[in-house]
Amino acid sequence: MAELFLFEKQTQQNLKKDRMAAKPATTSTTYSPIDPIHKTRPPIFSNSDVDWLRPDSRSFHQCRPAFFRTGAVNSAAGSAYAEFGNTKVIVSVFGPRESKKAMMYSDIGRLNCNVSYTTFATPVRGQGSDHKEFSSMLHKALEGAIILETFPKTTVDVFALVLESGGSDLPVVISCASVALADAGIMMYDLVASVSVSCLGKNLLIDPVSEEESSQDGSLMIACMPSRYEVTQLTVTGEWSTPNFNEAMQLCLDASAKLGKIMRSCLKEAASDVQE
Amino acid sequence: MVGLSEGEKEFIKGGISQDLRADGRKRYTYRPIYIETGVIPQANGSARVRLGSTDVIASVKAELGKPSPMQPDKGKVAIFVDCSPTAEPIFEGRGGEELSAELSGALQHCLLGAKSGSGPGIDLSSLVVVEGKICWDLYVDGLVISSDGNLLDALGAAIKAALSNTGIPRVHVAVNAADEQPEVDISDEEFLQFDTSGVPVIVTLTKVGKHYIVDATSEEESQMSSAVSISVNRRGHICGMIKRGGQGLDPSVILDMTSVANFVSRQLIEKLDSEIAAAEADEDES
Amino acid sequence: MGLPNASEDLSAEMEVDAFRRLFPLRYFERHLSESIRPDARPLGRARDTTISLGAVASADGSALAKIGSTTMLAAIKMEVMTPSLESPDEGCVSIDFHMPPICSPIVRPGRPAEAAPVVAKQLSDTILSSGMINLKELSLVSGKAAWMAYLDIYCLDADGALFDAALLSAVAAFSHLQIPVVSLDYDGKIVMVTEEQKEENLENQPVNKDKRKLTLSSIPFSLTCILHKNYILADPTAEEESIMETLVTLVLDSSCQLVSLYKPGGPVLAYTSAVQDCIALTRQRVKELQDILDEAISGMEID
Repeated sequence: MAELFLFEKQTQQNLKKDRMAAKPATTSTTYSPIDPIHKTRPPIFSNSDVDWLRPDSRSFHQCRPAFFRTGAVNSAAGSAYAEFGNTKVIVSVFGPRESKKAMMYSDIGRLNCNVSYTTFATPVRGQGSDHKEFSSMLHKALEGAIILETFPKTTVDVFALVLESGGSDLPVVISCASVALADAGIMMYDLVASVSVSCLGKNLLIDPVSEEESSQDGSLMIACMPSRYEVTQLTVTGEWSTPNFNEAMQLCLDASAKLGKIMRSCLKEAASDVQE
Repeated sequence: MVGLSEGEKEFIKGGISQDLRADGRKRYTYRPIYIETGVIPQANGSARVRLGSTDVIASVKAELGKPSPMQPDKGKVAIFVDCSPTAEPIFEGRGGEELSAELSGALQHCLLGAKSGSGPGIDLSSLVVVEGKICWDLYVDGLVISSDGNLLDALGAAIKAALSNTGIPRVHVAVNAADEQPEVDISDEEFLQFDTSGVPVIVTLTKVGKHYIVDATSEEESQMSSAVSISVNRRGHICGMIKRGGQGLDPSVILDMTSVANFVSRQLIEKLDSEIAAAEADEDES
Repeated sequence: MGLPNASEDLSAEMEVDAFRRLFPLRYFERHLSESIRPDARPLGRARDTTISLGAVASADGSALAKIGSTTMLAAIKMEVMTPSLESPDEGCVSIDFHMPPICSPIVRPGRPAEAAPVVAKQLSDTILSSGMINLKELSLVSGKAAWMAYLDIYCLDADGALFDAALLSAVAAFSHLQIPVVSLDYDGKIVMVTEEQKEENLENQPVNKDKRKLTLSSIPFSLTCILHKNYILADPTAEEESIMETLVTLVLDSSCQLVSLYKPGGPVLAYTSAVQDCIALTRQRVKELQDILDEAISGMEID
């Protein structure tokens, strides 16, 4: 049996190779002229560097400026665009609309999430494929906040496209998606604001950029509903002692409360524009 | 899918709030754990873990590969989980894919540590043969044979047991450093054992009503409002955490859960250690 | 007196909305007979068009083009390849068009939109046949290394005239393209030259110091028109495209030479005079688009 599923894995890998060969974008025929210095880059800082500046010259506990705009996609029921430094995402919400035919009857609504990347989102050209893990994480982060009982038998689709990946992609996607849901008029208990923290050596860095994420020793991401003070999604990687964990969590919660205010004011602005 | 009547649902919830669950356990008690190691002779290491009627197999296969250019001094580990249709009819065809992906993702989160390679679980630098050129790639495969709740904890335990059962052949490197790709000679007799004392255990706390329980059966899982899987190592440090299930949780509840997980994990680690030792002894005898 | 009036207005509006949904064709024909379209445009007028360059920092060249609410994001990434034996001193351009699920309610994840491959083929045919790009300019070391320009166009919002917007974003991205400075290292691989290295003046000189920009000759611009009875509607919205099915897409270059004409069937058969009318409309549109593009480029140079 083991042989069997090992074989399956290998064929999957072969399939992946075939697909890559079919597309012109393979590493074997073309390559990106990488800056030779970056290959052998030393770790960006050691424990002793307390006053070290981050790549975008923020302090350790300072988030990037957040920008949200609703109504980015007219053909969707609701949409939002978010920009945190170099991280740029668009989220469209469709529905509530008829569930897929194969779906069974359900007296509460369904939520369907999908996250994908553009081919030019990352420094090295990617395949632009769906991101399965982020899709299911986005689903879990939102499902606790949406009042699914308000649209029985139907489905709400939340689709996200990461235009440019500059670090903390998933938290930005989650926050942006909840603004888009509000724009679409889907009933929610509260907005979902999400923030992540990276642990580098002994330092906690909030809202990390890609370079920091690639050399992090641990990370913690929280998605929470600020007004209800409830956590809808939480992921931790790396080794954390309990006091460290508590500190990081508090840091995230405080930051997401602030982020929640920014999201709220963006929605208020959009609503007052419509009234005028 | 678990079909329960209203009465049964109330019975489960009521039992949990009175700290006496349907099968007579307390809230923080695990079902009996049975571990068998070396169940797959072709693999470098394997183990079967039974937790009540939940039954999973994990196997470890080691292959020589090339380290990634970003981390030339580290080996690679990949974890995949497959759900067999024997466990649930809906796993037939593509039905189990979603659950498989979720479990694989959660295990990678909980066992593999952070991107820089530091952190818990498997010491990746011990997998390097020649820095930047050759390393061991570990393929860890999990298979769910029978499912009665708490799959993640069972898979975590099975992987821990399989890793401690794993022997990696000693490799002799031919000494000609100028060569692009050094020649290697894989020994058939000498095997290196892994240090698995750092591999964390996964404790899933399932919240039903106001209380949370460990090692939920699928009936209990059907009544959950949310669940948090926490992986804890021997030192009591949190090595990974992922929240599952819908409803939001108050941050103070999460902190409380981590301390409960910490407490439960100590017993679980002890239990696993003795079971793994017993299983290894059994295997040597037979 | 105000109140009943207001409610009457509302009911009238409701009826118009219902009429639009129930009898879309009649709704449009009523408008057309008055020489106006539901969004208050005359028949031959295209929607407001904007271009912004350099929208994607991680790409070597990028542009965001909007025609009405149809939005396209194009980005170019340069990679190095070994040129083929037949053309040792030419680079290559690879063009892909994506319609992610965010752009339209009819696209679902896992099921690519039917229109996407059609537009992708049209785009690469048009761009490669128009002679806009001289592939020889993409050569680095003859026979050894040349640029492969990956152009990816994402539709962010689909509201008709997809090809026009996609082509506009593509040519804008090419005019924004800044080719990185590279040099040849000892292994015969192409590597990036960084700012510090430029000052240090290393022994391996950059191979493409003065070839940072492509010279774009004869830029193609396009206009899609709907033919319906005797009417010609320029730059249709998604709603118009779904109701009146005969489309004609014309591509002219900056000196108004015809690059391509595409009429994929449809119930309306076009007289040559109608086609000529379309060409006249496209000519006007080419001038407009050329101005918009020039403005975007000059705006960028000031920055």
